[in-house]
Amino acid sequence: MNPLELTLGIMTSVGGFVDISELVFAARAGSTFAFALIWVFVLGTIGIIVFGEMSGRVAATAKQPVFNLMRHRLGLKLGLVTLAASLISNLITCAAEIGGVSLVLNYLVGWPYMLNAVLMVIAMIATIWVLPFKWIERIYGLLGLFMIVFAAALVAMHPPWGKIAGGLVPQIPPGLSTKELLTFAYFAVAILSAVLFPYEVYFYSSGGIEEEWGRKDLLTNRLTCIVGFGLGSLLAISILANSAIQFGPANVDPAIPGTAALQAAIPFGKWGLILALLGMFFAVAGAAVETCLSNAYCVSQFFGWAWGRHKKPWEAPRFTIAWITMFVLALAIILTGVDPMQLVEFAVLFSILVLPLTYLPLLLLAGDKSYMREQVNGPIAKSLGWLFFAIITVAAVAALPLFFLTSGGQA
Amino acid sequence: MKPEGRIKLVSQLLDLPLLDSEGRFCGVVDDLEFTGAAGKPLLLKALLVGPGAYKGRMPAWAMWLVRVLAGDRITRVPLARITSIGSVVHLDCPARELGLDKSERAAERIIPHGGAL
Amino acid sequence: MKRLLLPVLLLAGCGGGAQQDLPSIGEARSLAAEWAMINDLAARGRINATYAHAMRAQLREQLKSAAATLSQPDSRYGEEIQTLLTEPDEAPPEELRTHSEKLKQIEDSLESA
Repeated sequence: MNPLELTLGIMTSVGGFVDISELVFAARAGSTFAFALIWVFVLGTIGIIVFGEMSGRVAATAKQPVFNLMRHRLGLKLGLVTLAASLISNLITCAAEIGGVSLVLNYLVGWPYMLNAVLMVIAMIATIWVLPFKWIERIYGLLGLFMIVFAAALVAMHPPWGKIAGGLVPQIPPGLSTKELLTFAYFAVAILSAVLFPYEVYFYSSGGIEEEWGRKDLLTNRLTCIVGFGLGSLLAISILANSAIQFGPANVDPAIPGTAALQAAIPFGKWGLILALLGMFFAVAGAAVETCLSNAYCVSQFFGWAWGRHKKPWEAPRFTIAWITMFVLALAIILTGVDPMQLVEFAVLFSILVLPLTYLPLLLLAGDKSYMREQVNGPIAKSLGWLFFAIITVAAVAALPLFFLTSGGQA
Repeated sequence: MKPEGRIKLVSQLLDLPLLDSEGRFCGVVDDLEFTGAAGKPLLLKALLVGPGAYKGRMPAWAMWLVRVLAGDRITRVPLARITSIGSVVHLDCPARELGLDKSERAAERIIPHGGAL
Repeated sequence: MKRLLLPVLLLAGCGGGAQQDLPSIGEARSLAAEWAMINDLAARGRINATYAHAMRAQLREQLKSAAATLSQPDSRYGEEIQTLLTEPDEAPPEELRTHSEKLKQIEDSLESA
């Protein structure tokens, strides 16, 4: 295990944890319910650690990414349903991320939103075309570490640490009306969805193959997931806690992503604002790249095409056409003029609906001795895996009714 | 495992990716071809690769959509070209010898060569 | 009894309409508060002009959307939102907070109704 590689891997995971959905929902959760939803972020993080570690272990042991084996496990018909659901979910998420990063660029340099969307798609296509996989991942992930300014802002605000710690305990705040209770439940479902987005495990397991992981990388995989995702979630929790302290008492329920950057401006002034906007820019752009590549991985692996950015673009031509097409389709969605915040809502809603389809094949694969041999799920991974599968299934069933009953959390 | 051994067709062969002798992915086992007749042994003859091979596995309306989007080409991979079967099916020759690379080559013609590190 | 029926029905319709507008009222209340926060920070030199300009433009767009979705634009809250929209971009934070607080009061009274 190379310590430098491990450190870079962890830091990349930290910087790449927060995307536009987590940003928006963490800020809204904090302003609406103070610290009461911190435990849901922790729950979701444990879930993504469990499934992320499983997907990396599958890649390192079976030497195949999850989607390759998923079709074999589920068969053609159910595999096609899963593929279609994943493609739609990832496409909406990619469009939401492009919308988000276009807004952030507007806050940074003042250029128009639609122009920013076109420029960002061109820039991201160029990035993926020119750079090898490791550099794509590292650049966006490491530059996303500007997000640490949110954690620094929280410390600078001298928060009530006792109350923040109290938010770690699973709870429902007392005295909520029925509407507020439903809204609380909706936020819980949305946060779980945002943390457990399907694209994350597809990208992570395919990335393991891109980096030629083998058995020697199993510990790296485990540490990257536990430490990287764990520390990354602290950034999201910082945004929530900052929102509880700064926005809630001021009657602000952040409706636009730019408001979150004020969390760093309040204690640190202009430099804090710039660092926050840069962090948001790279974190959200990184998420756009990941969702796009994730879709290209899914399609290519499902149909047995050559794939991967460890190859030159012309060495995996259908894979290349796939990821460029994804960006173009996502841009087309943005250019229809749909509100990017609506896209975030749709992304979160659609993703939670497909999460059971995403994680069931992974659970079955990681528990199958014929693929995994001695690296098959042990009792802890098995128990946690099935527990989280049950949680996300309940959340998936509840998502649509909660969305309509609470007008998307506005009630 | 070797292709002469016992094999569970659905759980150990169908829908596995194919890897040619140059280490390139070149399709998925979409269906299987047998020889035999009533009262005679049923022998696996070839793997079928391509959207046309979905025909027996999908409803008619879905097959229509597949045909519109991807065509109905089928490529046969004789059993003799398989060296081993594990989490992938390993072939003993490059994909081009079996005609498994036609779509990839067609796609390659529209991709610029250059500019990548 | 019948003379009371029409006003009761109208009030019930009004109540229903106002209830329907609650998400928009809450959104406008929050946008006014965000606007106030931005203007306050801008006046103290804590944020740069590019960001402030972009945020004010976006907040105004969102307010217009919220106003457009109201089922009762001539109501007290509808007028409050229209008054808010007439404020200049660099309106004093206290003015904006006053609008936000008024909308909050309307929001709270509708929620408790």
